[in-house]
Amino acid sequence: MNVEAADLTRRLGRTQAVAGVTLTVDRGVYGLLGPNGAGKTSLLRMLATVLAPSSGRLRLLDGDPGDHRQCKAIRRRLGYLPQNPGYYPRFTVVDFVEYFALLKEIPAARVPRAVAAAVERVGLGDKATARLRTLSGGMLRRVGIAQAIVNDPDLLLLDEPTAGLDPEQRVAFRALLRDLGQTATVIVSTHLVEDVGAACTQVGLMDQGRIVFSGTPDELTRRGEGTDAAGDAPLERGYSAVLTEARA
Amino acid sequence: MSVEAAARSRLLSLFLAGRRVPAALAAVAVAAITLHLALYRPWNTYGALQLPLIVEAACAAAIAGTLASPFGEPERVAGSRLPFLRSTMVVGLTAAAACALAVATVGVPLSGGVAALVRNLVGFVGLGLLCAAAVGGGLAWTGPVTYLILGVYALYTQWHGPALTTPWVWPGRPGHDPGAALCAGVVFAIGLAVYTWRGARE
Repeated sequence: MNVEAADLTRRLGRTQAVAGVTLTVDRGVYGLLGPNGAGKTSLLRMLATVLAPSSGRLRLLDGDPGDHRQCKAIRRRLGYLPQNPGYYPRFTVVDFVEYFALLKEIPAARVPRAVAAAVERVGLGDKATARLRTLSGGMLRRVGIAQAIVNDPDLLLLDEPTAGLDPEQRVAFRALLRDLGQTATVIVSTHLVEDVGAACTQVGLMDQGRIVFSGTPDELTRRGEGTDAAGDAPLERGYSAVLTEARA
Repeated sequence: MSVEAAARSRLLSLFLAGRRVPAALAAVAVAAITLHLALYRPWNTYGALQLPLIVEAACAAAIAGTLASPFGEPERVAGSRLPFLRSTMVVGLTAAAACALAVATVGVPLSGGVAALVRNLVGFVGLGLLCAAAVGGGLAWTGPVTYLILGVYALYTQWHGPALTTPWVWPGRPGHDPGAALCAGVVFAIGLAVYTWRGARE
């Protein structure tokens, strides 16, 4: 398993952001759904080795992120896009992705090809030499995704990756996710249930720091059948039904 | 140059560009020229000690402006080369600023001498590094600027006692004072170690 978490908790000040998450994820696309403040971002930050757990056990890519040496090895095989990534506006798209390729210690001879491939995969080949300050919000999001995938990560963590993308870009992005999930573990945090339905093989639903549902998108859909749960689509009704049940 | 060496050089140049190091170097150059031109003017003893201190603090504030990362968490988890890049940048910029200021004082009278100038600069930069780690890269400049006020006050107390004589307020001590140099050096070393290891707080 590429991700094994047991009873993982994280306290941020007085808030229990993650309250005992147990999770195992292997290759494929895992969608992390949940309302605002459910703990998705905190969980993702722990999986990205940004945040240390307060308690519990975590193993990533068969390594212990708490061990300095193993953490370095994990990070080389990791791709991460946070909710609000930063950009240096005077960099070009290629500069930005190349910077991360070099930081991630991709062998020097492979860097130009890896950068070009990542930029092409997010559909920015024609903007490769454009400065970041000239790009739209959706394009910047795709640049962020390119830096996350430039090292062909075995574990890819994406926090709200489709925020700011137009419908056409989102459709293309879901195809990219499915493609990446063939060879890697991809964990996507999102509010958008349609992204999960279209791209994810597994889905987890978080509420108040806990995972209250884990299964396939079809299983989540079935949880909403025959109920009066709110939602315009079957998956949304499943989402609402599980949340209502968890809070009852 | 081998492919690996070229890649390391490219990484360093991208890192420095992303930290706005060229702008910091330009600010240091402007500060050095200002100091050189200002030292041609006649100053009373108090003003002659105060002026270089203000320029040293300005240089340290410019260096502190490079400590914040524009890239956030993805950079922090992107590998193990960041500590080397951070320390190279800080040491290089501090050395460049010290050289620029020292060159700016050639042929003009400098109260306290070059030793005091370098000591004060190194201490100011150390405070900027500690501030970056404690309150964030965006506010790192507050360390040197706040300490400048203390330094100016320490100089003032030399004429209006009781004088501040602790070596931790190094601007008030003469350039050849080893205790003051040690204190400034310790602050720089601790600041550099903390910043190299953890980077600026986000």
